[in-house]
Amino acid sequence: MLDTISLPKVIGAPKSVDIAITGRCNLACKYCFYADEMVALRDLPTERWLRFFAELGDLAVQRVTLTGGEVFTRPDLFELIDGVIASRMRYGLLTNGALITEKALAQFEQGKRRLRLDSIQISIDGSRAEIHNKTRPGSFDRAIRGLRLLVEAGFPMTVRTTITRHNVDDLEDIAHLLLEDVGLKSFSTNEAYACGIVERQEDNIILTPAQRRQAMQTLTDLTARYNGRIGATAGPLALAREAERIEAALARGETEFPGRGTLCGCGGMWNKLAVLHDGAIVPCHNLSGLALGVIGVDDFQQVWRAHPTMVMLRQRHTIPLHSLETCCDCVYQGFCTGGCPQGAVFFGGEVNARNPMNCYRVFKGEDPYYVLETDGAA
Amino acid sequence: MSATEPTLYIVNPDVSCREEGPDGALLFNPDTDAVLVINTTGLLIWEALRKPRDKAAVVAELVSRCNNVPADSVAGDVDEFMEQLVARGFVGIYEGMLT
Repeated sequence: MLDTISLPKVIGAPKSVDIAITGRCNLACKYCFYADEMVALRDLPTERWLRFFAELGDLAVQRVTLTGGEVFTRPDLFELIDGVIASRMRYGLLTNGALITEKALAQFEQGKRRLRLDSIQISIDGSRAEIHNKTRPGSFDRAIRGLRLLVEAGFPMTVRTTITRHNVDDLEDIAHLLLEDVGLKSFSTNEAYACGIVERQEDNIILTPAQRRQAMQTLTDLTARYNGRIGATAGPLALAREAERIEAALARGETEFPGRGTLCGCGGMWNKLAVLHDGAIVPCHNLSGLALGVIGVDDFQQVWRAHPTMVMLRQRHTIPLHSLETCCDCVYQGFCTGGCPQGAVFFGGEVNARNPMNCYRVFKGEDPYYVLETDGAA
Repeated sequence: MSATEPTLYIVNPDVSCREEGPDGALLFNPDTDAVLVINTTGLLIWEALRKPRDKAAVVAELVSRCNNVPADSVAGDVDEFMEQLVARGFVGIYEGMLT
């Protein structure tokens, strides 16, 4: 099988780079995957970022996504955005929305700040404060105000709803709020996954199997009702679509989907890199423990092209699932991608493993190696 | 500029270019989000346009860099390619003074 898999050509530089420009945040969200890094690392000064942006521009990197922490806590945010623009790139922002004001939005009207903006993403986790604030404390009113300001001003934007035990019964009202009341064209969904801070919470926010099935059905119904205006690349809605495809294929007597059956669940290593707020280069913010170098110290292009970890992550695509102990006897392996490497590392301690959170056999309760928490533990 | 002077072209300074080994290069216009993959001949034209040039000068540059290529056979291709670059904002009309 190794001989039959041809990997894509590695382009000269990533198309995009996700950059945490700060570890400071005005919130303390219950499922923040970056919480441990925010505490441990220090922000870089403006000039270090500006030099890095110039390096990216010289490599013809097309876009950066600025994230954190909370990007609007950086007093030099617009100086950094102007550095991105001067470096011939586009940009997007991930924000909790709570610090978005008329004054902040007015600053986007200068120069090419608006022209080069891909989108601003805000997280909304509930249709009302008592639900949203359970995972994003004290922020609902400000986040909704920021969201409405962005919509009224016509900014390109997206909204992400992360599904937890606190809002799984609120999905219909969330869809009504975002699609009918606020008037968004669409919003996307995911679910909270296990990471350091989630594991330390006193109240478990991760969906139980029954809640995940409930969310799958609810989101499928809502997507039909709202004519496809709810999206997902992971989480319950994505799983529902995947389950439907797999079951339909099995009913037709098929055993695989083209291009699957290996650890190919992540394509990020072919077009993206990420940087932590202390300048550490990593494959992805979800793999922040896999340090590849430091901006301004290591050759970014060389890291991208030839760092052994990047080579290993790309070679991961050639590893057939039938070679893994956890998957060798799985009837779904031909339909499977092995899932996101973050979960492979978190649950299995290594990248070259499957992610049980993306496993259809685990979801169906048929996996001998990993059993989801029982519904009785909710 | 008088009506008799040829139009001068120059690369859009906001466009980034990354060479991709023997395959050519990638151009990216961040204002329009447009990407254009060009071959090695296209890259020669792009490099020629880093200074203000008219089409005849670009053809001459190309002929000088390529062996046994007659000017009249490449002029049409250069014209078509440059029109595409201009239409998509990768190249603009130079309106400054030549030094």
